Amino acid sequence: MSGPLSGLAPRWRKVVRDLSSHRFRTLLVVLSIAVGVFAITVVMGGRGILLREFEAVYAASVPATISFSVDAADDSVVRAVERFEGVRFAEGRRTLAVRYTKGEQPEAASSAGWDTLHVSALPEFERGRMDLVTLESARSFPPVAGELLLERSVQMVADYAVGDVVSVEAPSGKRTELRVTGIVHDINAFPATFVATATGYVSMDTLRLLDQPTHYNEIHLIAEGAPTRAEASRLAVEVRDDVLGARGVRVLQTSVPEPGSHFLGDIFRAVSLLLLALGVLSLALSGFLVVTTVQAIMAQQVSQVGIMKAVGGRADQIMRMYLVMVAVYGVFAVAVGMPIGAAAGHWFTGYAADLLNFRITTYAPPPSVIALGVAVGLAVPLLAALVPVRLGTRISVVRALNATGMSGTSFGHGLIDRALGLVRGLPRPVALSLRNTFLRKGRLTLTLVTLTLASAVIMSVMSVQSSILATVDEVDMWDFDAQMWFAVPQSREAVERIASRVEGVVAVSGMPEYRSVFTRADGTESQPIDLIGVDPASDFVVPRISEGRWLAAGDRAAIVLNADVAKDEPELRVGSSATFNVLGEDRTFEVVGVVTAGLMGPVAFAPAAYVDEIAGRSGAIMRLQLRTPTDDTWEHARIARVVERRLEERGVPVAFTQTANDQRDQVASQLGILVTFLAIMGVILAAVGVIGLTGTMTINVLESTREIGVMRAIGASHRSIYQIFVTEGVVIALIAWFVGALVSYPMSAALLDMLERAMGLPLAFEYAWSGVGIWLAAVTAIAIAASMLPAFRASQVSVRDAIAYE
Amino acid sequence: MSSQHTAESSVLVSLRDVVKVYDTGEVPFTALRHVDLEVRSGEFVGLIGKSGSGKTTLINMITGIDRPTSGEVVVGGTPVHALNENQLAMWRGRTIGVVFQFFQLLPTLTVIENVMLPMDFCAMYAPAERPEHAMHLLEQVELADQAHKLPSALSGGQQQRAAIARALANDPPILAADEPTGNLDSKTADAVFHLFEELVEAHKTIIMVTHDTDIASRVRRSLTVSDGEITDEIIHRPRAERVGL
Ligand SMILES: Nc1ncnc2c1ncn2[C@@H]1O[C@H](COP(=O)(O)OP(=O)(O)OP(=O)(O)O)[C@@H](O)[C@H]1O
Ligand SMILES: [Mg+2]
Repeated sequence: MSGPLSGLAPRWRKVVRDLSSHRFRTLLVVLSIAVGVFAITVVMGGRGILLREFEAVYAASVPATISFSVDAADDSVVRAVERFEGVRFAEGRRTLAVRYTKGEQPEAASSAGWDTLHVSALPEFERGRMDLVTLESARSFPPVAGELLLERSVQMVADYAVGDVVSVEAPSGKRTELRVTGIVHDINAFPATFVATATGYVSMDTLRLLDQPTHYNEIHLIAEGAPTRAEASRLAVEVRDDVLGARGVRVLQTSVPEPGSHFLGDIFRAVSLLLLALGVLSLALSGFLVVTTVQAIMAQQVSQVGIMKAVGGRADQIMRMYLVMVAVYGVFAVAVGMPIGAAAGHWFTGYAADLLNFRITTYAPPPSVIALGVAVGLAVPLLAALVPVRLGTRISVVRALNATGMSGTSFGHGLIDRALGLVRGLPRPVALSLRNTFLRKGRLTLTLVTLTLASAVIMSVMSVQSSILATVDEVDMWDFDAQMWFAVPQSREAVERIASRVEGVVAVSGMPEYRSVFTRADGTESQPIDLIGVDPASDFVVPRISEGRWLAAGDRAAIVLNADVAKDEPELRVGSSATFNVLGEDRTFEVVGVVTAGLMGPVAFAPAAYVDEIAGRSGAIMRLQLRTPTDDTWEHARIARVVERRLEERGVPVAFTQTANDQRDQVASQLGILVTFLAIMGVILAAVGVIGLTGTMTINVLESTREIGVMRAIGASHRSIYQIFVTEGVVIALIAWFVGALVSYPMSAALLDMLERAMGLPLAFEYAWSGVGIWLAAVTAIAIAASMLPAFRASQVSVRDAIAYE
Repeated sequence: MSSQHTAESSVLVSLRDVVKVYDTGEVPFTALRHVDLEVRSGEFVGLIGKSGSGKTTLINMITGIDRPTSGEVVVGGTPVHALNENQLAMWRGRTIGVVFQFFQLLPTLTVIENVMLPMDFCAMYAPAERPEHAMHLLEQVELADQAHKLPSALSGGQQQRAAIARALANDPPILAADEPTGNLDSKTADAVFHLFEELVEAHKTIIMVTHDTDIASRVRRSLTVSDGEITDEIIHRPRAERVGL
């Protein structure tokens, strides 16, 4: 009598014994709940950590409220800006784009094929007050003349380390070598993984090595307080006119970003939304799983409930026993799911942070997520168990006791049985397993709902993925193989002639492109918008119109916006007329259409002839696109280098070259983050499905022990028992697959709609039919795998076991 | 003598005009047709009858395991038919010990724990006294040495005796047993029956369903159930009288 349980009342001993003697079942239920806790911890924890850390790192970088791009300014101008009412701090810097390559290249005849590096020359590294960068590793700091700090994301695309030498070609053509003395992290720089350019920092005295004047061409400022974007825009106009204009500083561009919004904000919002959706779905799935398992346990315990009632147990006493049991499962599940979830969350957030180029200082999940995990592990099972436990303990004693014999269902009256009776010629084990499948209709329904939901989500996820990939095609509205930009306007005729003579070039198209600014109704200005002049008939443009129309032959002051402009500037609607400041002059355009192209920054298109006209430079181009006869992307890059060299030989310096593939990769890598997240989502959900199906199958085996024993007694072989359970699992999976496929169509459309809203970018909808096929194969495999273990246990049931059972 | 005995004791169980209709099948089935029955305190009543005649249905009316479709069931002054499930459970736990054909011990509890379970549910005896009381009951059914085994390690007869000990846990005045010897060999069945006789001597009232005509002939009062009605009643003379002649 002096066991470890001797202090416990008999009914609590029963709870403990039931937990410990049905180890496999306990493990199963714990896993079902743990999967939910795990999913919530990974997903919501990951989301929480990402948001918290991103906000923290972003806020710590003190992003500038306003930045001006100017012709020339010195420290006295910067100090004047800083003294202006409403301005807290101001800083000047000089930025320029250079071409660079690794190693010393004194002999290189041309910089063709070199990459672009955005260099910022800063007057002050140690006491900067805005747009701060964090030093990750350095040989010496701050950098002196001839030294370069590289933004760390370059290491994701190429192998750069402290101590390396890079060759740099200044816009003037002057070559010099810079030594990498440090790697920094700049959250405000576009990661090199997203754009084909790297970012670097030098001291002001390095500018001389690059043939650059030492005055500033950018002024950044931090406003007092926390202004809205509109307030900040008004401040920008005041500073531009009253301080800079008054001192003869010409402002080329004003940038007033949405305060507190990072350039990756859209992607971030979308990711966080997806994670939230996944969290809710896995919560629902885990809830279903728990209901299913608890219901099965209650079904198994029904005769014991009857006995307990017969010897004086009240429904509420018995109910409490089972709820305590569920709570114990929950505690185990939290103990298992939470640490694994936190570990997986750690990996996941680390991975995401790498993709988004920011550093995570602490991986601790937010307390709210821990609370949520505990709630999911304890409260959800208890809530989910309430109904089955209530039903199980409310059952009348006669019914409970009558349930003891061979499965006392009223099978035979059912439609299904009659239907099955009609299907002659079905092999007997198959007929038997079908009968078994439908026999336990309640649990079948729940398992089906769980697996159907998981199937639907997985197939939707695949559809969202294929839609995103289709979007990558859609945002690309050009039909070129390579393109290049020039630092100063070039003659279209000359450039096109030189380029088209290069072997492998079959078509060329030069186009004017200027920075423009849209002036809003309240007088504030938009972000700079690239105004590209295109020939309405050009076959280099393949516009996909989301609203209005494309440019037509007779158009003059007509403009078509890309999705990014349409999103940023709600005032700009098809049919409205809008004032754009191009090269310092206000021009009025009529907005005729919006194209689906986006994610490449704000771009607008107008007829090339009209752009030439307002630029006052007929036939001047800033960009050249070309086509080759091949689809080989290496060949595109090679031909582009040849064109680049040929142009440079003729005195046409190329600022930046890109193949169509580079551009596609850029967009794809941003959306690729979403695709990756979606894949992770799919894996978690599939795990829920596997555990759920294994659980159901196991419980079916446990429940059919007696039947199995009888079948064994009348000579059923191991093989036919395997067959029975595996068939059952596969049938369930196939139904779930079919219904899931039906549900996944509207579900993926809804998910995509949510994403569109979060990103403000029209996404192409492409239902993944291949996903339906893939999931069919996967779910069948999962069903077979999930039924194997239970089927094995079933085949091990001996006649004696079955008869002795309970 | 028997009439003298019945006159002395009070009516403990009384069924008046009890009808039970099962409507679970396709056509409603009347399992009990206007049954009237009185059982006095200290009686040992046997219910016999063909399979499907309604014996289990009848005994379930008395234990409150099932409810009559109409009519009254009063046990020890309590209108059983009027109690709700919870009241029934509590009432049953203290008033009637139920013994089943298939023993129905909880598989994960040891024999003694099974015996203590009704005490736990009905809060009978101080928790510290329960093991001692349960042990005492097990001694009575000669199972003291098996007390800490799980039911699966016991033979059928031992399991049934454990179930009887459990039925006696809260010292209920009535014991209701549905074919308690149905799954036992005749020798073991004999032992169980003997135990019942001792309990009757200890002033318990026992109502027992049985198929065994030999056993049926040994109870003091046997009732024959056929087609949902009590069709025959035999009062056997107590053994002592027969022996003494
Ligand atoms: N839950 C039920 N639903 C429908 N009919 C029932 C139900 N329980 C019993 N019956 C019917 O009521 C009648 C009496 O059943 P009962 O179990 O009382 O018989 P019994 O005399 O105990 O038989 P046995 O000796 O075989 O145990 C039977 O004909 C049976 O078919
Ligand atoms: Mg019966």
